[in-house]
Amino acid sequence: MRAPDGPPVTSGDVLLSIDNVSLSFGGVKAISGVSFDIRKGEIRAIIGPNGAGKTSMLNIINGFYHPQQGIITFKGEARTRMRPHDAADGGIARTFQNVALFRGMSALDNIMAGRTLKMKRNMFWQMLRIGPALAEEVEHRHRVEEIIDFLKIQEIRRTPVSRLPYGLQKRVELGRALAMEPELLLFDEPMAGMNIEEKEDMSRFILDVNEHYGTTIALIEHDMGVVMDLSDRVVVLDHGIKIADGTPAEVKSNQAVIDAYLGVAH
Amino acid sequence: MASDAAATADTFPKLLIRNARLYGARPAMRHKDLGIWQTWTWKEVEEIVRAYAVGLNRLGLKRGETIAIVGSNRPKLYWSVMAAQMLGAVPVPVYADAVADELSFVLAHADVRFAAVEDQEQIDKIQSVLDRLPKLELMFYDEARGLRDYDHAKLRAMDNVIADGRKALAADPKLGQWLDAEIAAGKGSDPSIILYTSGTTGASKGVVLSGERSIKAATDTVIFDKLTENDVALAYLPLAWVGDHYLNYAQGLVAGFCTACPESAETAMSDLREIGPSFYFAPPRTLEVLLTRMMIRMEDASRLKKKMFHYFLGVARQYGERILNGESVPLKGRLLYALGNVLVYAPLKNVLGFSRVRVAYTAGEAIGPDLFAFYRSIGLNLKQLYGQTEAFLYVTAQPDGAIYSDTVGPACPNVDIRIAENGEVLFKSPGMFIGYFKDAAKTAEVTTPDGYVMTGDAGYFDEKTGHLKIIDRAKDVGRLNDGTMFPPKYIENKLKFFPDIREAVAYGDKRDFVTVMLNIDLTAVSSWAERNNVSYGSYQELAGHPLVYAMMEKHVAEVNAAMAADKMLAGNQIKRFLILHKELDADDGELTRTQKVRRGFVAERYKPLIDALYNGAKEADISTEVTFEDGRKGTLAARVKIADMQPVVPSGTLGKAA
Repeated sequence: MRAPDGPPVTSGDVLLSIDNVSLSFGGVKAISGVSFDIRKGEIRAIIGPNGAGKTSMLNIINGFYHPQQGIITFKGEARTRMRPHDAADGGIARTFQNVALFRGMSALDNIMAGRTLKMKRNMFWQMLRIGPALAEEVEHRHRVEEIIDFLKIQEIRRTPVSRLPYGLQKRVELGRALAMEPELLLFDEPMAGMNIEEKEDMSRFILDVNEHYGTTIALIEHDMGVVMDLSDRVVVLDHGIKIADGTPAEVKSNQAVIDAYLGVAH
Repeated sequence: MASDAAATADTFPKLLIRNARLYGARPAMRHKDLGIWQTWTWKEVEEIVRAYAVGLNRLGLKRGETIAIVGSNRPKLYWSVMAAQMLGAVPVPVYADAVADELSFVLAHADVRFAAVEDQEQIDKIQSVLDRLPKLELMFYDEARGLRDYDHAKLRAMDNVIADGRKALAADPKLGQWLDAEIAAGKGSDPSIILYTSGTTGASKGVVLSGERSIKAATDTVIFDKLTENDVALAYLPLAWVGDHYLNYAQGLVAGFCTACPESAETAMSDLREIGPSFYFAPPRTLEVLLTRMMIRMEDASRLKKKMFHYFLGVARQYGERILNGESVPLKGRLLYALGNVLVYAPLKNVLGFSRVRVAYTAGEAIGPDLFAFYRSIGLNLKQLYGQTEAFLYVTAQPDGAIYSDTVGPACPNVDIRIAENGEVLFKSPGMFIGYFKDAAKTAEVTTPDGYVMTGDAGYFDEKTGHLKIIDRAKDVGRLNDGTMFPPKYIENKLKFFPDIREAVAYGDKRDFVTVMLNIDLTAVSSWAERNNVSYGSYQELAGHPLVYAMMEKHVAEVNAAMAADKMLAGNQIKRFLILHKELDADDGELTRTQKVRRGFVAERYKPLIDALYNGAKEADISTEVTFEDGRKGTLAARVKIADMQPVVPSGTLGKAA
């Protein structure tokens, strides 16, 4: 469990709120009328059985899907649809359910790629790598090295990611997301396909990111043990509808949640 | 330069002051941090250590007290050692990978009030045994990460301690003079450090070394190997091991050379390559791992490269060592070797980080003749030494040009060696320890009335070379029921020289015949399995595979044949053997922290297997408890097969040497 006196950024202000959002693909309703909020500095989990609409929800938050109905308020700014670059500019970063890295590039270069939005000099300056562009690269490299140190992946700095085991690839992906210095970090099943040790490592890193950088975290996860240990608050979706919202303990004892996961006797 | 060190400075802090004066602007320490090598000059190190010492003193550390040093090779931990010594306090380094129990034993036994620790991991370990350490008051940490939510009543950041000392020094000029007086008040005969032995034989003992003796010993070897302030060493061996304290800390301060700390334990190999040390030490096991890895990678190389590699390794085998020893070699050999150097040896050494190594040592265990010859043949000046913590490392060392794989060299300068009647090696050396900490009885036990220290090792001087040969621990040399001398280590080493055998444990004392338990080397055997389409699901399955057994049988037969040729050892032929289902591990107490087998403990733990080895059974069941890294325990059960060997009949023909 997390220490009750979390990082100082837990001002409890709402960072992002989802208001009565609905999304459908043709006739299929993926999400209908869901509302919840994510507070600054917390670890917020979105759970639910298969097909509950979790990944759709994440895609709405980072602007990949556009809901037909509802309002998304991010940092006080209300809008009906989020655009991916608005989300990235505004400080939302994510990792993917499947690893989405540049496979031929080294871990270092992959994480450097996360700094792209922060680079001010244009491509030609960067190609020349002189004067201000060089100074800028040095500065960015320093930030990336801090992340490499933070994630303890010094020994694979120069290794092409395609040669790394899965758990380490996931860690590099987290590094790239961190390189964006996000305010809100979205994890899509960070532990999928991991063994126990890798899961423990990843959990440790999620907690550390939250504590060290004060990053707000929203995560989708199937492993209930992980969810209950990591998160401050949990929202439960089932068939696109919110069925519960509260602390892990509250959610665990909620009858609707138990029914959704275990099924109901008819 | 080195020789005046001994004359002018009898403690390490005095040497630090001298180095800051003589080599002020030269690098004293490097550490790779955030991907970039950071450098501190001797002048800077002096300033930091002075500030650190004042900071520690303000928190209560006084002359004669002890302070634990827990963690891997990092500049701030070395500075903790120096700062403590500056105050006349005694640092007590502890192995970074020691489990909480071992840690609490040393910390409690050494009466530490303070501990300088690396990071959260070590703090967690100490806090889990805090109830056994009533005297511990404060811990100083290097790495703040993850400690935000910790109760800081007993924690201080090293940076803050140093900054506090620096501020105090700046505010009060008298404080600087007081510190100078403290340094001057340090006597060479005072304890300088307490190094706990790894405990090959029972609980670990605290070996107390004095500054004066340590510096004398280090000065001798600095001269012996012509080390100067221009040398560089990579400090990657455990901080608490006598080897690191001697080779890097003591020799570094005496010669004034630069000690580089790797970024992390995992990056040590690539850091080695970047730093390009000129002085290098590696235990045989490390050299073996490097060679195995290299050979495995060569398997994947293109045909042309493979051919070239093997051809020139042949050339190196033929001429390399003779060239290194300065013997005469035909012109053709010299030319071929030079070509091989351009094409193979130099790039190879570059990849390994050995390009600039001038002197390299290996010690700790017997080294395989092939392994030893390989490194020497590609031009690495690898030598052997023999020593122990009680001697402050060196007892013997091989001089350039007189190198043999089966000896450890003649006595070091100013070292006196005597062989006792039972074959035990006794020595008297400049670096000799003062005694075991709080254990006068044990000290008396290993010291002869005329001041020699008993090493516990059996050995003899080779008639041909005059070098010392170590065969086994004196108390481990046993006898078979028919009276044949049984040196288990000798047999085990012969087996371990095969790259796919990681560990071997031989039994035979007070038995009718010799048996062994083997551990396969996972790297080598799994690579072999891949190439030969042998599928397996786990270590256990691979270890029990019939083809693996067949392979091991061949190795054992070869060792038997070699022993059959030796009249003294012919009776030691291995009659039965088995392959263990799990790797022997220090966390389970089966190996010491320096990776030596604790034979007695293993015998107890695997008693059902040993009984089966001697009662003729074809297989045996075993269930053992294993300890995971986080201290949890689990059980591992297996059925282990036992293989029988046909003894080789000594041929008796004279020409057939092993």
